[in-house]
Amino acid sequence: MFRLNIDFSSPLPIYQQVIHLIKMEILSGRLKDGDRLPPIRELAKILKLNPNTVAKAYYTLEAEGIIESKRGSGNWVHTKKAKLDSLRKGMIEDEFRTFLESAFSLGAKKEDLKKLMARYLNDEQTNR
Amino acid sequence: MNKQIAEVEKLTVRIGKKTVLNDIQVQLQKGESVVITGRNGSGKSTFLRCLAEVILPDQGSVEYSPEISREKIGFISDQISLFENFTVKQGIDFHSSVFRITDFDPTLINELKLNLNQKIKTLSAGERTLYHLSLILSQKPQILLVDEIIHVIDPFLREKFLEAIIDLISQLQTTVIMVNHTFSEIEKIPERVLLMENGQFIMDEKSEILGTKIKKIVSEKEIPKEIPCIFKKESSFFKEYFIYPFKEELRTKFPHDYKDLSLTEIIKAFIGDQYAKKRIP
Repeated sequence: MFRLNIDFSSPLPIYQQVIHLIKMEILSGRLKDGDRLPPIRELAKILKLNPNTVAKAYYTLEAEGIIESKRGSGNWVHTKKAKLDSLRKGMIEDEFRTFLESAFSLGAKKEDLKKLMARYLNDEQTNR
Repeated sequence: MNKQIAEVEKLTVRIGKKTVLNDIQVQLQKGESVVITGRNGSGKSTFLRCLAEVILPDQGSVEYSPEISREKIGFISDQISLFENFTVKQGIDFHSSVFRITDFDPTLINELKLNLNQKIKTLSAGERTLYHLSLILSQKPQILLVDEIIHVIDPFLREKFLEAIIDLISQLQTTVIMVNHTFSEIEKIPERVLLMENGQFIMDEKSEILGTKIKKIVSEKEIPKEIPCIFKKESSFFKEYFIYPFKEELRTKFPHDYKDLSLTEIIKAFIGDQYAKKRIP
C-alpha cells in the first residue's frame, strides 16, 4: 500500500497529495470499503510527513464522505458506490486532461491522437 | 488550535561590533514545525540559542507562555557538551535524577545498539545526537530546538531521528524549530519557513503555499521587467529566473513555462546574492 511518493516540488499542497494518494488506493481497489486506514502517526512516519498534514488530509476526506472517523478506533474507508463512480470519473478526466496537455505541447494533432487512441484501445481489448 | 507559545520581541544581540540579531519580532505557535534557514552567518544559530536561553539578548526578550518551564525546552546542537566522561548508562541515570524522571524510554538507545558502558565522548556524531534526543524526549519537551544537525547524521539514524520527531509532534504537540539549509529528508516536516538575512527575518511563509508563490522560468532571452524576479542564474546556454511573488495572472499576461520548485531550490533562490544585496540598507 501507498506506493506513491509525496513531491514537494509539486504545486499541490502536501495534504492534497495525501488525499489524492488515498483516493488512488481506494479506486484501484487496494483499499476497500470497510478497510482501516493507517493511524495518522503511522502514515506520517511512512511518508515522513508532519502528522498535522496527514490529519488535515483525513479531515478533508471525511468531509468529502470518503472515509469515516470513529472515535478511538481510527479512520475507515467508507465509500458508497455512487460516490466512488463520480470520484473515478473526475479523476480519470483530470488524468486525461493532463495527458492531452502534454501531448499537445509535444505538437500532437487531434487526428493523430484519435488514431493512436483507437489503436491502443484495440490492443488493450485483444490483450484482455 | 492556534495557541501562541512564545513571543519574541525586539530581540537584538551584538557580538563585538557586529549586530548578529537585529530587532527581531516573531511569534511561535503550539505544535507548529518551523524551519529557519539562511546564509551562513545570517544569525540563525544565535537566534536558536536565544530561544534556548543559552545566551541572553542585548535588547528585547523571548517570552514563553507560563506552562513552558525551562525543562520543557530541548536544545540539540553538535556544540553542546553532554556529560562527556560519563558512560551512556551514567548519563541517563544522572539526567533522570536531575529532572526527576522515572519513566526513561530506552527504545532509541536500544535501537542504536549502544554499549551502556561506553563513554559518551566516544560516541559518533549521529549516535550522540540520538542519545541526546532520547535524554530530551524523557523530559516530554514542549519545544524542541534543533541546530543544523541533520546533515552530520547518517541516513539510517536520520530516519530514526525524523520518526522520533514525528512521534513527538503527534503525541505531545511539541513545537519544533529547526535550523537548516540542507533539506531533502526533512522538507515535508516544516509547516512554516523563516528566512534569515543580516539578523532579521526577511521571509515568513507557510510551506504549504510557498510552492505556489515562487516559480522558475528557464529562458534564453531576457524576461519582461514586470515579472518580479528575485534571483537570476546565468550560464552560456540559458538563464534561470526565480519569480517571487508569483501570481497566477502572470501566466496569461506573460506566457512562459513557470516551473515548480523543491524547497531546497526555493531556499537557494532566496539566499541568492541578489536578494541578499537588495536587503542590505
